[in-house]
Amino acid sequence: MTVASYFLPRSPAEAVEILAARGPSLMVMSGGTVAMPLVNEGISLPEEVMGLRFAGLDRLEVVDGGLEIGATVTLTRLLRQRTVRMLSDAARSTASWTVRNLATVGGNLFTPPPGGDVATALLALDASVTLTGPAGSRTVPLADFFTGFMTTVLRDDELVTSIRVPAVEGGTAYLKFGRKQANTPSVVTVAVRVVRDGGAVTDARIALGAAGPHPILADGARTALVGSRLDDDAIGAAADAAARESEPFSDGIASEWYRRRMVRLFVRRALEQVASAGAGEGR
Amino acid sequence: MASVVVSFELNGRPAEVLARPMTTLQSVLRNQLGFTATKEGCRQGGCGSCTVLVDGEPMPSCLLPIEDVAGRRVTTLEGITPIDGLSPVQQAFLDGNGFQCGYCTPGMEMLATALLERNPSPGRDEIVEALGGNICRCTGYQPIVDAIEAAAGAASTGER
Repeated sequence: MTVASYFLPRSPAEAVEILAARGPSLMVMSGGTVAMPLVNEGISLPEEVMGLRFAGLDRLEVVDGGLEIGATVTLTRLLRQRTVRMLSDAARSTASWTVRNLATVGGNLFTPPPGGDVATALLALDASVTLTGPAGSRTVPLADFFTGFMTTVLRDDELVTSIRVPAVEGGTAYLKFGRKQANTPSVVTVAVRVVRDGGAVTDARIALGAAGPHPILADGARTALVGSRLDDDAIGAAADAAARESEPFSDGIASEWYRRRMVRLFVRRALEQVASAGAGEGR
Repeated sequence: MASVVVSFELNGRPAEVLARPMTTLQSVLRNQLGFTATKEGCRQGGCGSCTVLVDGEPMPSCLLPIEDVAGRRVTTLEGITPIDGLSPVQQAFLDGNGFQCGYCTPGMEMLATALLERNPSPGRDEIVEALGGNICRCTGYQPIVDAIEAAAGAASTGER
């Protein structure tokens, strides 16, 4: 145990203040399900750590039919909310009951690949992220939050304080494929949202997890769907496009080759699920 | 920095420890306080052998810095074991051979206790889903799921 100081701020302002005072070497920990193993095993040897569990960032509110999710809302609470079904599904597919009691929505944005299953669902839902630093808060679309492998637009003196999910427009489906039924890393995670007007697709989001350096949106798949009637041809074209534009990797869970094929298969299945749900309005 | 003093409630009684910053609850329970039911397994939250209840919610105690349980209510297997005999969950594990080496058993039984408090008559699927984070390398899980089903059945018929 090498940690010299462990800070437990009691308010968002105090958390931001501590981060500004200690600087970027401060390890910021939310639920601790990623950071604690690193500390326990000596893989990370931080001198100073800040835990956010009591920082007053755990409000979960329905706002304009969507959700305002505090960064430290646990996945157990996300699972139990009834406003956005896809987020409940995504939470249930992540880790185990005991770990979900600690793991947080904000922390899920920083889960190393192939993690970030909730983040993948949030991407399909057009979520935005509120970042707070000494100069105040700014909001960025989640789609612009990730910049590369384990990198984001978050500045050294900023914290993710909340995640905003607008009211869900269109039909959604969430599928996570792992090597076990539960408590398993993702081979591939697919979250889709399809907006239709009289049967014709007007907009779509195809979010992929474990298929790139961070959760990504498959824009080619979206293009293949918009204007279609979500028929077999359009779904096939979208699945092919998603497989092409995904950037999967090989690890102990699955190979790049396999993941790319599973992207195609699970995008197809997710879109078929939306299509068979009828009008596909507001799940 | 100096060690910190942390006070919390352990199995209904006040506890106070002096610990280095970010010592895990698991380590404090086992190594400082001698509550050895709480096993050290993977230290990554992946195996469930260190499961305890914090304010009634099951959590992997290896992922909790001791500072995070200050003022909170911690329950270990010692806390659910009656002075005489065993709890219904423990008795069902014993009767049904819900263990072989026993290393995962305290975590399994804490998880089962938390599950039955919330859902006194869970279906087999619900039991399996709840146990998703608790690994057993001996039994193949069937006797464990059977034991939890039996404990639920015993409670509902008032047998124990």
